Amino acid sequence: MSLKSLIPSLRQMTGALALGLIASQTLAEEVQLDTRYGSVTVDDSAERVITLYEGALDAAVALGVKPVGAITTRQGDSVASYIQPSVEGISIVGTARETNLESVIALQPDLILASSRLSEEQYELLSAVAPTIVPSVNVFQQEGAWKEESKLFAKALGREEEMDKVLDDIAERATGLKDRLDASMPDTGRNASLARWMPQGALLMSNKLFASNVLASLGFEMQTAGIIDENRAHSSPLSLEKLSLIDGDWLFLATLNEDGREAVEAASKSPAFQRLEVVKNDRVVPVDGQLFSSTSGPMAANAILDRLEMVIEQTEQ
Amino acid sequence: MISSLPPYRLIPPPLAAGFLLFIICIASLLLGAGDVTPADALPVLFGGGSDEARFIVLELRMPRTLVALVVGAALGCAGALMQTLSRNPLAEPGLLGISAGSSFAVAVMLMLGASAATLTVYVSQLGALAGCLIVLSAARIQGVGNDPIRLVLAGATLTGLLLSMTSLLLMFDQRSADEIRFWVTGSVAGRDLDDLYHLLPSLAVAIILMLIVIRPLAALSLGERAAQGLGHKPGRIRLITVLVVALLVGAATAMAGPIIFVGLVVPFIARAIAGPDIRRTLWLCLPIGPIILIVADILSRLLVSPAELPLGVLTAIIGAPVLLLVVRGKRMPAL
Repeated sequence: MSLKSLIPSLRQMTGALALGLIASQTLAEEVQLDTRYGSVTVDDSAERVITLYEGALDAAVALGVKPVGAITTRQGDSVASYIQPSVEGISIVGTARETNLESVIALQPDLILASSRLSEEQYELLSAVAPTIVPSVNVFQQEGAWKEESKLFAKALGREEEMDKVLDDIAERATGLKDRLDASMPDTGRNASLARWMPQGALLMSNKLFASNVLASLGFEMQTAGIIDENRAHSSPLSLEKLSLIDGDWLFLATLNEDGREAVEAASKSPAFQRLEVVKNDRVVPVDGQLFSSTSGPMAANAILDRLEMVIEQTEQ
Repeated sequence: MISSLPPYRLIPPPLAAGFLLFIICIASLLLGAGDVTPADALPVLFGGGSDEARFIVLELRMPRTLVALVVGAALGCAGALMQTLSRNPLAEPGLLGISAGSSFAVAVMLMLGASAATLTVYVSQLGALAGCLIVLSAARIQGVGNDPIRLVLAGATLTGLLLSMTSLLLMFDQRSADEIRFWVTGSVAGRDLDDLYHLLPSLAVAIILMLIVIRPLAALSLGERAAQGLGHKPGRIRLITVLVVALLVGAATAMAGPIIFVGLVVPFIARAIAGPDIRRTLWLCLPIGPIILIVADILSRLLVSPAELPLGVLTAIIGAPVLLLVVRGKRMPAL
């Protein structure tokens, strides 16, 4: 109740703030955006941006905008390490599960970019602080949803054309890598699984995930083995007896920690893992769990392509 | 329901329980989350079977069955000893902070970078011993025998404190968090038989001490004066018993994580069958402990295939109703 009663006063405050900004920046243009919670009008030259979603942070940085605040990556204390160098000194305002509203207000944002999973309650609170953009795409139902999200965030930042260019470059790069892979390993199958190795068992990641999308753009056919519920990012931890469900031509293996090699090391101790065809054929690729199971966006896509390029270079030798 | 004399039975209860345990061990080898059906698995027991079936049965199901066998027996005996010692039917390693003590010790060691199985066993046993001593000394201030509630309250407080300290450790170190978090829910899957061999020396010590202490302990349950009259030293008996409990619980916790309620349910069933005399119930706890744990493990594999449930969740589901029965019973079984 006390929070609700705060809203009008916040609105007035930010209204006054916005007025001040419009007065000082005559070049600003107003943009209409379709979001999950209706149409939102923003000033396209926002300077103090807060991203409450890893995909939004990624999109902003890809466009040369350095947000003032962001949330941590899953299981981390700060932003994902691939993007850390680009955003030195960024303020952390929460995690994917929980936003610290006080730190958001303290940063005086003029634009908030959020995840499509932001609840209406949270939206009400945040939009009283600054215009809040919540993508309406469902990540689990739409192929390449991350591109739509990136475009929406780009529009809110007034840099739509730059984003189109960035996304085209990524698609072109992926096609180039796919051709190289096809040339160097024409006879190897492309069945692939993306899995996370946890002490309680392997988690098979959804083929709708961002990283799976990027892998698919190189021709990998991402397996789900029919065990991942709709709208879920991964399966439950698999019984060792059912580990063959992650078998295939390729296995991309991560933990939540950055170091994929550690995951492979832990897995290798298990006799059930040793029996997998993909292990016998030596086609297990250790990957960074933050990058492959938590993030999304154009910068992350390029980082994933970097990793795959290393794999392709090895096969070419 | 519980009489002081063992009722007359056609087959001696320990023999019947042993036979049931054998059947359940076989079932544990035949049933699982995987595609190897009981019909595929049966030939393996007679030395045949396909390569896949041999792997699943011998490399995956056999080790976890053996681990559950040892852990179940250790927890069952530890529960019986603890209940007799404290003369309290609610005294259970999981409730009294003994398991929590050993979890906390292991969490600290995992955080400091230890992962060798040998190290965790002794660390976990030391933690269990510390937990035992703290809770007994806290409860002894007013005398254990007169006030069973005090013991349980002290145990619950210690458990709560240690669990929150373990959670605090998890917050500081994400790297070992996954490992600890998994271990805290309890499981016998994916354990190496080598880990089990590391436990054997300390379990052997525990068994020898248990054989020494069981008769004096039975005397002690007649009262401190009676025990002294029979030539026993109550202080020494208590100390040895606590040591045995710590060795057993520490070993079980190192192997399978802090599994609660087994130490409560098993002696309860054993007393219902054989009466309150520790000399009879203890031998009955040996087969009943593994029976409960292996059944829980089989259920954990079958209920949510292709995933598995944490074992600690299932033992709690099985154990909680029994706990309620004990608490709501018209009178607590005399110990």
